[in-house]
Amino acid sequence: MVLRCQVEVLYFAKSAEIAGIRSETISVPQEIKALQLWNEIEARHPGLADVRNQVIFAVRQEYVELGDQVLQLRSGDEIAIIPPISGG
Amino acid sequence: LLISSREGLKEVEESAKEIIKFTTEKLSIDEASQLVISPLCGAVSLFVGTTRNNFEGKKVISLEYEAYLPMAENEIRKICSDIRQKWPVRHIAVFHRLGLVPVSEASIIIAVSSAHRAASLQAVSYAIDTLKAKVPIWKKEMYEESSSSWKRNKECFWTTSD
Repeated sequence: MVLRCQVEVLYFAKSAEIAGIRSETISVPQEIKALQLWNEIEARHPGLADVRNQVIFAVRQEYVELGDQVLQLRSGDEIAIIPPISGG
Repeated sequence: LLISSREGLKEVEESAKEIIKFTTEKLSIDEASQLVISPLCGAVSLFVGTTRNNFEGKKVISLEYEAYLPMAENEIRKICSDIRQKWPVRHIAVFHRLGLVPVSEASIIIAVSSAHRAASLQAVSYAIDTLKAKVPIWKKEMYEESSSSWKRNKECFWTTSD
């Protein structure tokens, strides 16, 4: 059985425009590779396919690339979709 | 901070300050400078980033910034502690403007004080380069012909500029 949890997904800049929302709570496996997590998010918002090669996650405010790294998630965790940055 | 003692006026070791501010209000260079000035320091170095009115021939009419606030602040704190590992600086202030910013106004001010100028000059340069690479802040340019574009810093650490 796959244990699941409720995480808060935050969208910024172009990803927020594509998703049409700034945040949502979704149910995901507690143990999931970063890339699989992206695929679950992209399934909810297919338009995000346009930016998948440009974005990075921030999981609990730490950067994680969309790769094979296994994330251990807990309910309430914050996962931000970070498009290329342009501060300064 | 000054206190009286039997020896007369004696300087208290003031603790190092880091002031990080995100605001939709106009940034004040004077305020940033005053915050880092210290009687122990002979130098205040400042970087002021301002908004340009053109991009690749297109006229920029306004710019809008947004940030992932708690993380942006944490990332700037990491930059401050990196700076303290590298250079003997006293105080650091980083202001970033958010929301709509008219052309020619400051979007960022970084102010650093140090006993001697080399440390604060290098620290300011490191701070803006690292901020552009790592801090989750976004800028959207709105052009005259009612189009717009989210920008990408060439320093952004996970993308290669094309």
